[in-house]
Amino acid sequence: MTLTQPPVPDTVLDQEARPTDRRRPAFPKRSPLRARLTGGAFLAPSVVLVVALLVVPFLFTIYRSFFNDNGFTRSWVGIENYRAMFADPAFGQSVLNTFLWVVGTLLLPVGIGLAIAVGTWKLGLGGLARFAIVLPYAISGSATAVVWTFMLSTDGGLDTLLRMVGLDGLVSQWLLQWPLNTVMMIVATTWQATGACVILFLVGLQSIPPNTLEAAQIDGASGWRLFWAVTFPQLRPMTVVVVGISIVGSLKVFDQVLLLTNGGPGTASETLALTMYRETFTLSRYGSGAAVAVFLTLVVVVASWAYLRRQLRPTD
Amino acid sequence: MPNPFTRGPAVTRRTALALGGGGLLAMTLAACARGSDTQPSAPGTVTLNSDNPTWGPGYAAASAVLAKRIGYRITSRSIASVNNYTQVIRMTAQTDSTTDLIKWTNGYRLQDIARADILTDLNPVWDAAVERGWVDPAQRESFSYRGKAYGVPLYKSYYAVFYSKKAFAEHGIEVPTTFDEMLDAAQRLKDAGITPFLSPGATTWEAEIWFMQLLASIDPDYYKAVTTDKASYTEAPAQQAMDLWSSMYADGFFSAPDVTSNDLPGLVKQGKFGMMLYGTWFANTLLAAGLSDADIGFFRVPPRGSAAPAIVVESGSLSVPVKAHRHRAAVEVAENWLATDVQTAWVGFLGDTSPNPHALPKSNLVKVLAKDIADTRPVELTRYWEASPTPLIEGNVQDLGSFMVNPSKSNGAATLRSMQNRAVTEWKTWNDA
Repeated sequence: MTLTQPPVPDTVLDQEARPTDRRRPAFPKRSPLRARLTGGAFLAPSVVLVVALLVVPFLFTIYRSFFNDNGFTRSWVGIENYRAMFADPAFGQSVLNTFLWVVGTLLLPVGIGLAIAVGTWKLGLGGLARFAIVLPYAISGSATAVVWTFMLSTDGGLDTLLRMVGLDGLVSQWLLQWPLNTVMMIVATTWQATGACVILFLVGLQSIPPNTLEAAQIDGASGWRLFWAVTFPQLRPMTVVVVGISIVGSLKVFDQVLLLTNGGPGTASETLALTMYRETFTLSRYGSGAAVAVFLTLVVVVASWAYLRRQLRPTD
Repeated sequence: MPNPFTRGPAVTRRTALALGGGGLLAMTLAACARGSDTQPSAPGTVTLNSDNPTWGPGYAAASAVLAKRIGYRITSRSIASVNNYTQVIRMTAQTDSTTDLIKWTNGYRLQDIARADILTDLNPVWDAAVERGWVDPAQRESFSYRGKAYGVPLYKSYYAVFYSKKAFAEHGIEVPTTFDEMLDAAQRLKDAGITPFLSPGATTWEAEIWFMQLLASIDPDYYKAVTTDKASYTEAPAQQAMDLWSSMYADGFFSAPDVTSNDLPGLVKQGKFGMMLYGTWFANTLLAAGLSDADIGFFRVPPRGSAAPAIVVESGSLSVPVKAHRHRAAVEVAENWLATDVQTAWVGFLGDTSPNPHALPKSNLVKVLAKDIADTRPVELTRYWEASPTPLIEGNVQDLGSFMVNPSKSNGAATLRSMQNRAVTEWKTWNDA
């Protein structure tokens, strides 16, 4: 994903320093051949790497998705893999789960991250609170999954805790019933990912000019009104980034689900990335796996493009 | 500003860096282009790739005997993730990056790669091994595709019930000899506050274990038929099996389906372990956890009613890729793998039964079961995991995992319908390929 710097509104720029000519600075029309070659040579490694490691494999994946491919033999089947994919009820379930993940990670890690960042920003012991929240972010995804498996398995940590405090009625098979298992996995991810959102929102908060907040306070704004009318609008560039990262991250969620439920029971908690993995690596149906990969890529690209295009247009 | 392109000494720092960087890149590319496996291994050794990293000492023990017999040792390497391993073998066995020997599964998973003509026909090896009495000829079919054998048994495990000798003794339970006695034993354990059967499988391969065992206990012939597309999953024996499984759940005989087999040693220590139906290969893990035949015993699940005694067998395949560097030596290793002395060394490490009935492990844990099998000679059935084409099994096992989470009778019937629908599709795909 490429994130562009939001354009700076003209009014913010120092008028004095602005050249009278609004065209781009005057570079010579044609730079010397040697300079251009040198530029090309510096660019070449990145271009070659991106083409060889991203573009070519992606094009090959699209090509492969039109074949019935078991790793040994390959035969052309046209769009049959796509037809079969859309006809498979497990695929529908997978799309639904992926959608739940997108909504869930927008509501929980992003929402809570914003609340914690804003709420603890100016508190005396805010640093300590933020440290506690950010700490899980330092733990690897797999380690998190192991800890949460212990917490959420039947008669595991959470059930024991609930029984200890007399809430026996709430004891559940957290990872075995859908949609509870997907919700609990989103909660587990929230525990880990909120820290990253807090850090990003704090960076955003620190870039807000204090005089705007002071001016609003002098005008009598405080609390919710101050946040909603003054702080949040100025956080917008960072919110765009955090939400964008969160959407893409949740569309391709894989490791937590693989480790906590393996997509099961059955295919109940499978997400698109897991469907792709199962088709490709468990069933060795490379064509079908490629079709899911292409679909997932399209969803990620379209979602991020639509979102960023809307959010990153020049401000009025 | 000075022009950076025209000034400077003849050999600039940039040129030196570029030359150095280019040289490194070239060396890296050259190294990548020829993997270590594209070269034959050291003289006197053959390479073996497997997905079980803990078996290294076992290969070393067997190699000591192999070296005396044929002058070759096995150098093993492993990839711990089964999925990764499968992919690596599917890719490398077609090329000269392959190891000389590979560990694979038998049954349809072996047929799947045998169809691509990447494995060596080991029929002569089987003929010789059968003649010497090193292997049960009944196993040959599950290593064959269209009349040619593509592997020899690397190991052989049975699915039997691990039980706590202490719990049985404390509650006056005898080792069951009929299916009903087994259910009585479960009831008595339950009355004593012990969950009778530890039964993992909600989201793992283990969901197949009780399904295949109940079918084997109810009607072994039907098990063979349904796994080879000669019967439907909606027929009476499968329905009986699901109903029985469901009623055993209703009686509270099973643990939650998201336990793991690794919980067993801990439960034994707490005195809360009753029984677990599992592969005998797991004995190795129990021995490593400090348990012995004083704590744990095995029994074969008895047949139900008048059915013939049957037991489920799991086996791995030792196969020789056509493109093996030391092809002749690899075939020679396969020829000698089943020899009694090699197998005795091998199962001495595994603590499991051997494909060669004359080789017995040191541990008493499995010896009693091996003797019982030798005496009663139950029908040996290929494990469900290998008994039908892979996509059919993977999907059906997922269905069975869902059933274990919601084990009602109506869900049992729905599960069988789903399994049958998948069977229709996947057998067609298999037969068309």
